[in-house]
Amino acid sequence: MQAKAASGFEMDFWKDANLRKVWDDIVPGEPRKTLPYLLTKDAIHLYCRSVGEDHPLYFDEAYAKKTSYGGLIAPPSIHILLMFACTPTDDWMRSPGTINAGQSWSYNIPARPGDTITLQARALDKFIKRDRLFVVHDNVFFNHHGQVICSGRGQTIRPM
Amino acid sequence: MTTTFEGLSAGDTIDGPKFSVSRESIRLFCDGSLDYNPLHLDDEYMKGNFGKTNFGGIIMHGMNNFGLITRMLTNWAYPAGAIHRRLEARWLKPVRPGDVIQPSGIIKAKQTTRKSRWVLIDVVVRNHNDEKVAAGEAMVEFPTTARAG
Repeated sequence: MQAKAASGFEMDFWKDANLRKVWDDIVPGEPRKTLPYLLTKDAIHLYCRSVGEDHPLYFDEAYAKKTSYGGLIAPPSIHILLMFACTPTDDWMRSPGTINAGQSWSYNIPARPGDTITLQARALDKFIKRDRLFVVHDNVFFNHHGQVICSGRGQTIRPM
Repeated sequence: MTTTFEGLSAGDTIDGPKFSVSRESIRLFCDGSLDYNPLHLDDEYMKGNFGKTNFGGIIMHGMNNFGLITRMLTNWAYPAGAIHRRLEARWLKPVRPGDVIQPSGIIKAKQTTRKSRWVLIDVVVRNHNDEKVAAGEAMVEFPTTARAG
């Protein structure tokens, strides 16, 4: 498999696996290391294609300009991409075998092409249930104006 | 007919588009989301056990369900000048290549607050065997001053 996407993103999630925190190392409350990410129109469109999003608010600048949004936006669920775009290769979200057990997200304002996105993230809690290791996640994405785009909470089951 | 806050009632339904899941659609979601977890890529790896679970092959990203539910909700909300404000979802069954899945929603309640109006929606994603693969709740705001969609 090609190891890196055109964007330079590391596609091999085994790389740096030994540097990642396991469940035992994760300290609830401790901020995760995150990276600013320039959200491009191309990245939004690739994400849109992967879920069949075709609304003109995401693709048609002339249309979007005439709406109350005043220009192109990204779909609310773009945080799915931002979660990986804003975290480094040694982040434990990438640990092979990490299983997403459910998420909730609140949306404030849309992300837009050209935004530089930042993430504030931490584990809030960790627990053991039915022989499985859980971590509760707390994530907030901001645009470069310091405005909250969306905030989310999730649970993952950590590899044993 | 245009969807309005006044016109909505508990029990009203929203139908989302069908989505055919394939190895290619899962791979495209890897590229779109930058989530290259081997759960979604590596058949050899997926022969192993995850605790008590054996998936028997690659599975679709749970968040692909989330993206499809979002698409259904925003396509419903935008023409009404409404805003998708919240989605909570959990995964009930793995989705595999060959499955055809479809999100749907049912209006659960309406709420007027000091400054706005809200519609609460139960959402579900079913596969072609009518099994629930994901379920959750959503909240859509219908601002009192209408926004152009």
